[in-house]
Amino acid sequence: MTSKQKHSMQPQPNHDESVRQDFVTDLRAFLTDEIYPKITPYYEKNVEPEFIKERNRKPKDKSEVRDLMLKDKSYQSWSLLQRLSQQMMFTAVIDTVERTLDDLIERSKQHNSLGTLELDNEVEIPKYLTAYDIHQQPGGYHTEKIEDDIAPGVVYDISLPIYSRNSMGDENDLLSQAIIGHMQKYIKLPEPERMLDIGCAIGNSTLPFAKIFPNAEIHGIDVASPCLRYAHARANALGVTAHFSQQNAEQTNFENETFDLITSCLLLHETSHDAIPKIINEAYRLLKPGGWMMHLDVYPFHREAIEPLYDFLKDWEIINNNENFSGALRNMNLQQIFEDAGFIKDTIEFTSAEADGQYTKGYTGDFYLKLPIYLAQKPNIP
Amino acid sequence: MNAKIELPRIAKGKKPIYLDDRSIDNLMAMIMTLTQEISVLRDRLDTIEHLLAEKKTISLEDIDTFEPSDDLVKQRKERRQLLLKRVLLPIEKDLEK
Repeated sequence: MTSKQKHSMQPQPNHDESVRQDFVTDLRAFLTDEIYPKITPYYEKNVEPEFIKERNRKPKDKSEVRDLMLKDKSYQSWSLLQRLSQQMMFTAVIDTVERTLDDLIERSKQHNSLGTLELDNEVEIPKYLTAYDIHQQPGGYHTEKIEDDIAPGVVYDISLPIYSRNSMGDENDLLSQAIIGHMQKYIKLPEPERMLDIGCAIGNSTLPFAKIFPNAEIHGIDVASPCLRYAHARANALGVTAHFSQQNAEQTNFENETFDLITSCLLLHETSHDAIPKIINEAYRLLKPGGWMMHLDVYPFHREAIEPLYDFLKDWEIINNNENFSGALRNMNLQQIFEDAGFIKDTIEFTSAEADGQYTKGYTGDFYLKLPIYLAQKPNIP
Repeated sequence: MNAKIELPRIAKGKKPIYLDDRSIDNLMAMIMTLTQEISVLRDRLDTIEHLLAEKKTISLEDIDTFEPSDDLVKQRKERRQLLLKRVLLPIEKDLEK
């Protein structure tokens, strides 16, 4: 195995693929560390004063800032480069996956002794995942081009370190480590008998729970079969037992009161207005009395006014990286949806979990070190 | 063994225009890809130079299995940052106005 392979289900890039991927990592670092920090001072010195001259006041919200910035060639140059870096990342990774896919699929069939995998081709892929490819991953997470396809899962697994500049950890589990940290600090949760990770994709956020709860039965569900096949093979490569099944979190086949803990990582902002209450109601149905749900996401729910420029910059992924529902999620009344589902009012919390990331400055740092987490407990009366 | 599979290469979704028109955006994409390929060639040359310093002849496999040392990884990172700094200088300077 080369230093780029973190487990036996990852492909080995050839020389040029490897350094092509390295270039993208370094391009993203350059855009984050060298260019991005110049945007705020540039705006304060050049863009905002023009607006003040005309209107005698500062821009009042992110939409006024957006009107200014989308016309500004200097800002737009950074924005275009940032978008291109995402496309270049996928191209560089897909080269390797495409070249090695036959072998990877064969290998996945040898990686199946631990845990289970249940696929169901009756599960429909929701429109919010087919209308556009989230994160600009070509084909999204569900597209299958070949029998027993695992390609979207492999692409996701090996692009994450490039996206995050190697700050997700060898097993890409930084985010669920943040959930675990928060849980251990603030929630008195006895070791669960069964837990469920919804929208688990490749299971990178599912497996850490198997490590801290060695006696629990760990389940992950997703609608994307190629990701689930890869999740199962990947769990085997890492020697972890987990059960993956193809199900939609809006309506699953599990019985009432099956789980002590339900988690999700970066799932809610990829869904829709209609899906959110269904997912929350379903989580309520599946939880045992006294069980907890914890959702880690990207977007905080602001109670107080924040700087319009920062507010605008925080929306970058929505406009430029196919995160279409993220903005709308921020405007939803999740508190009410959680209450309506039946969760205990006093336990509902929209707070943040600290991620132990390596990078603290610039674009990536701003977004991924303090992660919004939404939690609630089901009443303890059966 | 399956026939050569072609994975999707273009993401579905909105394609905003960033600069004056699509053709300028395309030019930027082309320049960045060329810059990337210069970096790839430079790293390949670097690999070959390091391999040849150790032995007289090398194979393609030697190149593909070459694992740069931590020092070399660091050197390459610095060289890429320098390349990016030069290529993207006009954009950086504009933002320093």
